[in-house]
Amino acid sequence: MIVTYMFFGFALLSILGALGLILFKHPMNGAMSFVVTLISLAGMYALLSAKLIFAIQLIVYAGAIMSLILFIIMFLNIQAKDLPDEPGRWFYLGGGIVVISPIAYLLLKMVKSLPAGDTGIIEQDFGGVKEVGQLLFRDWLLPFEIVSILLLVALVGAVVLAGKRGANT
Amino acid sequence: MSLLTIHHYLTTYLVFGAMLFSLGIYGLLTRRTLIGMLIAAELMLAGVSINFMAFNRFLAPDPAVGQIFALFIMAIAAAEAAIGLSIVIAVYRHFKTVDTEDLINLKG
Repeated sequence: MIVTYMFFGFALLSILGALGLILFKHPMNGAMSFVVTLISLAGMYALLSAKLIFAIQLIVYAGAIMSLILFIIMFLNIQAKDLPDEPGRWFYLGGGIVVISPIAYLLLKMVKSLPAGDTGIIEQDFGGVKEVGQLLFRDWLLPFEIVSILLLVALVGAVVLAGKRGANT
Repeated sequence: MSLLTIHHYLTTYLVFGAMLFSLGIYGLLTRRTLIGMLIAAELMLAGVSINFMAFNRFLAPDPAVGQIFALFIMAIAAAEAAIGLSIVIAVYRHFKTVDTEDLINLKG
């Protein structure tokens, strides 16, 4: 019973956070409401009994990545006068709703034909650190290493792109 | 499907992920600041990864492949945020603006 209320709360909070992200004018407010979305998504993952991803979502995504983005927004020191004025914002929103509603109707019709899924109790150790870790380091070792190379490339690229130009040349 | 057992169904999570994804597309198309567009792209990634988690929980629970994919999506999102933010900083240094309309020098 309480799980149902938790599900509704998390779903409502994350949709509200996403709406805030697209409707707030200042990027700082948008990023803060996106943090709300990410934290409720972590709760959603916990409801899907994925304990490891729940923790990683909270620590890495809502913690590290979002604090990086917030730090950059503060670093750029964006004032209200720097922001572009968006006169047709609500007009765009209405137009978007009109365009998307037939697609949403089709999607709802299509999704009804999917299998309903297994509602049974899942085994106790699903999604634990041991199971996911064994799968990650046994079957998915090569993609894991490729992702680590990607992160290294991103690190070097960030230093090259954002580093000071002309300091020693 | 009653309203009280709605979280036992795969369909709910799929519709939820589609809502997050389409809000992300809308934000990416309509935000006028570079950082706003970047965060909207992150929202699209989050909507995809809830799909992976729901499919893994309901349809293929034995190997936790969907969770591996969610982990990889997080790594991609971290790399994207790092590169995107450093591009934003470089653009801001050059043009002194975050408004995409002011970046008119990008045309050839």
